[in-house]
Amino acid sequence: MTDIDTAITLGNASLKEKLNAIDGPLAYEETAYHLPVAYALTGRPVHTGKEAILAYTLTKENPFVACESILALSEQGPGREPAPYTGFIGDAVLRKLGYSLVDGSILGLALLIGTPANAETASRICRELQEKYMLTFLAGDVVPALSLASVKLGLEYRLIPLGSTSVHGVHFVDIITRVALMFGGVVPGDPGRLLAYANQRAKAIAIVFPGLDNEGIALVDALRLLGIPIISLGGYEGGEWIATAPEDAVREGMERKGIKVTVTAIPIPMSCSPAFEGKSIRKEEMYVEFGGGRSPAFELLRVKPASEVTDGLIRVTGPEIGSLKEGSAVPLGIIVEVAGKSMRADFEPVLERRIHNFVNYGEGSWHVAQRDLIWVRISKEAVNNGIKIEHIGKLIATKFRIDFPDLLDAVQVTLVTDLDAVLKGKKEAEAIYEERDLRIQGMKDTDVDLFYSCTLCQTFAPNHVCIITPERPALCGAISWLDGKIAYEISPSGANQPVEKGNVIDRVKGEFDGVNRFVKKASHGEVERCSLYSIMEYPMTCCGCFECIALMLPEVNGIMVVNREYKGDTPSGMSFSTLAGTIGGGAQTPGFAGISKNYILSDRFLQDEGGIERLVWLPSLVKEELKERLVQKLNELGHPELFDKIADETKATTLEELVAFLDEVQAPALTMKPLL
Amino acid sequence: MSENSPDSSGKIGYVVLGATKAEGGTRTVSFRLGGESDLPFIGMNTGQGSIPLVAFEICDDPEYWSPIVTSYTGDLSNDAREWAGVAEKQYGADIIRLYLTSTKRRGFDNFSSITTVMEEVLSGTGLPLVVEGSNEPAIDSDVFQRCGEAGEGERLLLGTAEAGRYRSVAAAALAYHHSVLAQSPIDINLAKQLNILLREIGVKADHIMIDPYTGTLGYGFEYSYSVMERIRSAALKGDTDLAMPMITSATDSLSVKEVREADPAALEDIAVEWEFYAALSSAIAGSSVVCVRHPKTVPLLKSAFRELWAGKMPGEA
Repeated sequence: MTDIDTAITLGNASLKEKLNAIDGPLAYEETAYHLPVAYALTGRPVHTGKEAILAYTLTKENPFVACESILALSEQGPGREPAPYTGFIGDAVLRKLGYSLVDGSILGLALLIGTPANAETASRICRELQEKYMLTFLAGDVVPALSLASVKLGLEYRLIPLGSTSVHGVHFVDIITRVALMFGGVVPGDPGRLLAYANQRAKAIAIVFPGLDNEGIALVDALRLLGIPIISLGGYEGGEWIATAPEDAVREGMERKGIKVTVTAIPIPMSCSPAFEGKSIRKEEMYVEFGGGRSPAFELLRVKPASEVTDGLIRVTGPEIGSLKEGSAVPLGIIVEVAGKSMRADFEPVLERRIHNFVNYGEGSWHVAQRDLIWVRISKEAVNNGIKIEHIGKLIATKFRIDFPDLLDAVQVTLVTDLDAVLKGKKEAEAIYEERDLRIQGMKDTDVDLFYSCTLCQTFAPNHVCIITPERPALCGAISWLDGKIAYEISPSGANQPVEKGNVIDRVKGEFDGVNRFVKKASHGEVERCSLYSIMEYPMTCCGCFECIALMLPEVNGIMVVNREYKGDTPSGMSFSTLAGTIGGGAQTPGFAGISKNYILSDRFLQDEGGIERLVWLPSLVKEELKERLVQKLNELGHPELFDKIADETKATTLEELVAFLDEVQAPALTMKPLL
Repeated sequence: MSENSPDSSGKIGYVVLGATKAEGGTRTVSFRLGGESDLPFIGMNTGQGSIPLVAFEICDDPEYWSPIVTSYTGDLSNDAREWAGVAEKQYGADIIRLYLTSTKRRGFDNFSSITTVMEEVLSGTGLPLVVEGSNEPAIDSDVFQRCGEAGEGERLLLGTAEAGRYRSVAAAALAYHHSVLAQSPIDINLAKQLNILLREIGVKADHIMIDPYTGTLGYGFEYSYSVMERIRSAALKGDTDLAMPMITSATDSLSVKEVREADPAALEDIAVEWEFYAALSSAIAGSSVVCVRHPKTVPLLKSAFRELWAGKMPGEA
């Protein structure tokens, strides 16, 4: 056992002695940075022994400066060690190495130093470092040990033998130093910034075998100043080195320095990019479709214990693309299972919403809606290029890993195309959706001080801002207040931001000064005021994703709601799509609002206009879908008869028919305070 | 809260393109772009910056180029060095934008050829260069490293950096002191995000030009125009992450249906008009550099800019 602290003292003393004995010109070849460490720390170019001693004193006897000066003398001319040793590495090569570091093709740097007890262990560690895209530098006895084990060394193998002694390890430091000067904007003579850069940006680790000499120990220990974790494989005591078993050394070092092996490319035969997000696949271009009312389909994301998720595992249950008929509609279940230390069950719906984006990123895949309403298409072109259903799973799994590197450790995807399995899975999924909806139920706007914004749709509606409150979900129906809160936690600079409610301006209309401030800023000054509970005055803007449109019908003193799925005529004289074209794009249109279906059931629905009693017309599909909860709500209000007083398309599709119907049932809207 | 203030307090930063001998390069001219403090042709007309520059686009493998251009240039387009020289001396371009289309070939791995092409073009023209590297993420690292290295000291503008794919471009720019062309898909938020990503990796604001992505007239240009206006007004309101000069290239001008299917006798004129009006509109939206591919478009733009920006000089650094 070597005592580290004693060795450091002895090592530094011996380095000092050698430094004091230096005589002659000092220089490295092919560098503009003189003796790089001394230059970076002091701002002084060192070229003589005297200057070296001065730099050493100025840096409070920094062992790097000593080693660097000693080698600068000995490595010159014939003193340069023969191949495979590289000695000092010139700026041109370093620029390329630095390039690879910034560009991500090298994830980090490792120094291997000391005397491995057996070459096998050393070569295993080297292999692991290579596999994890680390660039490894070797100094001292580790080099002959690896050569004996026939490990190939050289830049092309990402294993660089710096020199035959442990002191050569200082070249590892001069490389980090020059990378900081070249790429990090660090100025020579500013040791504070150099240290900050090394600590925060340099992804470097050191792995130390036993048997290091005193000078080597002094050098290695000084790496701690640069924030480099020193992983010791035994043989040392005292000090602050991290003793680790050889098989854990690389993982331990990389984890401590936060070096993550990241996924960058999606290995499927289709381009994937946000650029394709807005592209649709028309019927004639489509090879196969799933859901959209043509076949049962659903998507579900669940968090699982790490032991139950194999990262990257993609399974297809049921027929693959080859056995599907062109132009057919096929059942589909997308089940994404994820694991991660900080992943929580309430993050599920937020992440689940991302499946929509990811599938749309594919050049030949298209996705709309959510939950059990999804509609997915794969294009003929994509299928011709070899895209299979499995690849959609791969796309989803890989994108989740790329976009949530800190949150998710493993993602596996199961795609179900077998009808019975889809029906069964859909049923289970629906129970989970309901559970999630229940979680938000019962929360009131008055219970919270923060609302959340959503500006996801500013891509195409530049000034649109959704304000999401516990009692008013986003107009697309896909993001509740809780989802907004979680999305903000996951990605604090994302599209969902907290909105301070501020002071109440109008309790009934739902106008708050904090909300107004936020909306003004987020709409780039376009929208000054926003009432959350009124559609008549300063209603919220609309992007284009609204599940439903609510609009006033002055002739009957009421408000009608029409949903996206309803294709027919409405008493307003306009179809959904005509209305959507009129109010979308981020505009504020008094008398009109985009809303979610669930908002109809909210106590805040049309609060300023008199609540649900104003509702005069609602397509039967929505009425049916909401029936159970709507009836319950009306009972609570003491107006169970109201359900039948709301017209649908079977009662009226024109204004005349609506007037007649409302007169007949004596709808409350007719006698309420005039809307205009 | 400066973003919220209605008055313009911000100013577009400067980016220098090209380096003359005195600046450590071999270009005969260098340009200092940016500095606007107003939208073009709005307000007192005092802060609209210098006259926009015209970049002529060439490539190293004309198979991937519009036949409308190659049939006009003939053999010239097979020799990037000559082509760059002609673009400077005959067409009157201000900047050359080189697309390394050879890297589009399946299985491309002849990376040393990139160095050769770069050296040829640098010797063929004294104008500052914009260089478009690979289109294929798998070879980005090799391609951009060579582009950067071959142009060391020349202050190139290297492209194209996108949100999911900017590391190699940024690395080459950092290693060899070039600027980065940062492209986002017609989206102010993504433009800002990309600039932040570039900043975090170490690229300074005065080394970034924004390419908001331009669809040509009738094919999405109105979206581009609106996004450019929004980027510019956000910057003028004080958002420094967007306060960079813009570069635009409506590359689809030569391939839209109206041009492609034009009467062969009129095709060239229609092509040039389409390119001209898209580029002119981009400049009016605030673009400092507009890029075109048809030689005949260059003098038309130059003369239009001279008239519209009367009295202004090109931004020589």
